[in-house]
Amino acid sequence: MATLKIENLTKTFHAHSKGGLPTRAIQDISFEMSGQVFVSLVGPSGCGKSTLLNIVSGVDTPSTGTVTVTQDGKKARLGYVFQDPRLLPWRTVMQNMLYVSDLHEEEGRANATKYLEMVGLEHAHEMYPGQLSGGMQQRVGIARAFSVSPDLLLMDEPFSHLDAITARSLREELQVMWNATKKTVLFVTHDVLEAVQLSNRIITLAHGGTVFDDTTVELPFPRKASDPDFAAHQAEILGRFEVMEAERAAAAG
Amino acid sequence: MSVATRLNRPPFKRSPVGRALTSQWGARLTSYVVFIIGWQLLAMLVERVPGPWETLDFIWREVSGGDLGGVRRGQFLEHFGATVPRFAIGLTTSFVVGTVVGIAIGSVSFVRALLSDVLLVFLALPAIIWAFLTVMWYGLGWEAPVYTVILSATPFVAVNVAQGVRAVSPELHRMSDAFGVPRNRRLRSLMLPAVTGYLFTGLRFAVIIGWNAVLLAEWFGATDGVGWRARLWYDAARYRGFIGWAIIFIVFIFLLDGLVLSPIQKRAFRWRKSASDEVDLEHGLADMEAIAKTPFL
Amino acid sequence: MAEAATLEGTSRRLAGARLRRASGVVLGWGAFVGLWAFTSSVILTEFTLPGPLKVWDAIWVIVTAGSWADDFLISISKTFMGFAIAVLIGTPIGYLMGRAGYWKAFFHDGVVGAGSVPGIVYAMMALVIFGIGYLGPVLAVGLISMPFIALNVAEGLEGVDTDLLKMSKAFGRSERQSLRHILIPSILPFAFAGVRLSFAIAWKVEALTEVFGSSNGVGFQIRFAFQGFSIPRVLAWTLMFIALLLLIERALAVLERWLFRWRTWEQEE
Repeated sequence: MATLKIENLTKTFHAHSKGGLPTRAIQDISFEMSGQVFVSLVGPSGCGKSTLLNIVSGVDTPSTGTVTVTQDGKKARLGYVFQDPRLLPWRTVMQNMLYVSDLHEEEGRANATKYLEMVGLEHAHEMYPGQLSGGMQQRVGIARAFSVSPDLLLMDEPFSHLDAITARSLREELQVMWNATKKTVLFVTHDVLEAVQLSNRIITLAHGGTVFDDTTVELPFPRKASDPDFAAHQAEILGRFEVMEAERAAAAG
Repeated sequence: MSVATRLNRPPFKRSPVGRALTSQWGARLTSYVVFIIGWQLLAMLVERVPGPWETLDFIWREVSGGDLGGVRRGQFLEHFGATVPRFAIGLTTSFVVGTVVGIAIGSVSFVRALLSDVLLVFLALPAIIWAFLTVMWYGLGWEAPVYTVILSATPFVAVNVAQGVRAVSPELHRMSDAFGVPRNRRLRSLMLPAVTGYLFTGLRFAVIIGWNAVLLAEWFGATDGVGWRARLWYDAARYRGFIGWAIIFIVFIFLLDGLVLSPIQKRAFRWRKSASDEVDLEHGLADMEAIAKTPFL
Repeated sequence: MAEAATLEGTSRRLAGARLRRASGVVLGWGAFVGLWAFTSSVILTEFTLPGPLKVWDAIWVIVTAGSWADDFLISISKTFMGFAIAVLIGTPIGYLMGRAGYWKAFFHDGVVGAGSVPGIVYAMMALVIFGIGYLGPVLAVGLISMPFIALNVAEGLEGVDTDLLKMSKAFGRSERQSLRHILIPSILPFAFAGVRLSFAIAWKVEALTEVFGSSNGVGFQIRFAFQGFSIPRVLAWTLMFIALLLLIERALAVLERWLFRWRTWEQEE
């Protein structure tokens, strides 16, 4: 069981120009998640969601506070799905999968094949990313993240650059994959509908990078937007956003 | 440290002197100092190579006058006065002819098919061949340098203009159709700005290639001019004079580029990214991109 | 049915366009040779500008004499030697320029300046330093190609997608793996383009340096013909050299397209 523990995390960026104020992306965030959960981190743009993922993945460092990711007491293995596919354009799909693999050649190939099949790309092994559509590239990105058997899977608005129809089918595929693997997932999005559809727990961040709300979603999978319970959940969370905006407006005076 | 973090390393604090030395101007200054020291070392190692001070002294005397070993000095202006008009006439002609040919190649597909292979041969012909041919045709005098400049620079202007004409995006043409933009306004606001960039790159090339051509032609087939003067010192085995003139050639091209061409080009490209004070690669790369786009060059 | 008809129409139109283009090319060469023959026989004289046939005879004489291959080989070996030196020096300079602002400022003036120095200056400098011999042309080629390679490597390095580096880090790849799979593939197309670009200029400078001072190579043969006032031989050697270099250049372009085929797919989208 992977456990992600974030304690009093704050991230401040250096001022870019002389005399400019340093920006605080994240302010004193604490939460913990563990086990077979799909946690969504929802918030308006600029609230530090992506920064948080970068810190968890080790690409960025915290200013103060600690982030620990453990798997049965050891360091956990991470998988990451980015906003853009982030594939090496000069390598084929299969080579891209092997690039992140620590298995031996043969094993790695079999493993990559398995996950490419899951996203319906078994025919695309020898193609270059440039030959694939945006949706297919993102599928490779998802297969790549699952293929390293991550203890914790980080996803940073993976569907936000896709058209609505492609995004919808990819969300459905992701649900199927998650139900099959039950990975610990931290999913960042600004889309409340997406969060309600995919996750069992939703953490809402406010402007200025503080935790505003933390709630669980207990609806059976597969979830359909037409389900009244689903709509109620979505409305409830959107309502909280309105409260948050109102408070912010009041504070701004 | 990982590759990713190293690429955006945060600035660290330095002393004022250290900051001055590591600033952009400090770096440039250091590079000139290193260059001069390197030159001095080379001069000490290779007997034939004159040192920087010796060369500077030669240039000064060539400009100011005096006498050295029986050769009358101080003819700097006289020879420049002979060369610059040849260079200017050749350059202007090749610019005009190159633009006309380039527009024809760029806009009429039959002309393109007719001339593109021929242009390719002309692009590949080294200036020295034109210098040899024109010297054999016209003998020693002013004609060989002028025609060498025209014959070697024109293809480069033509190729660049042709590419400019072809580079106007069809989307913008379609947009103009959709809004019913009249022909003359379209020419002024769409075609001209698109071609100007290529025209300037072509001009820049023409300047470098034409300068090289005029020097070569004067070297082999003139009785005055800066190329002839450099040869005089070379034949006399006075390498100080010869290197001194090489430096003058380089300085001339730099001044022309920095004081005339770059400012005009910058003015013509105000609509592009705003110019920053930072040293950028763009200046050099713009030229290289132009070569990259030149087929088979 | 209708679709098949349009397809056929399209392919016929494409074939027509290809035919027109091919006929244009043939006409172009025909017009070129014709104009050349006309100029030499009517406007000028066969003595001042020898016609195509006369040059062809000269080429034939050179080819049957047999030793032409030696001159070509020696010129080309000098060009590639110069290139090797330019790559060896230009790549680290470009690497530094692309990696650190200080080095970019340090090398900028020298590298950009060196790219706009007239070829004759390099040829002269090479002669002063090495005199007549094998190393002069090599140095000239190295000097004129180095800035192109350095600038291209620097540009390639500046263009490295930092997002890919972050991806690499997020998946726990080592620095060596990032270098091999991200940095080097990013720079290679630029370095290759630099080599191809400078090749076109480099061989001219190589020939020029041989004209000024060498005892072998194509440039020497051109100078020899010039001193014998044999215009047909000057043109014959030049045209043979151009033909060979256009062939090499074509081969490089094909190799480039094959090596970096992933790029064309990127652009098509």
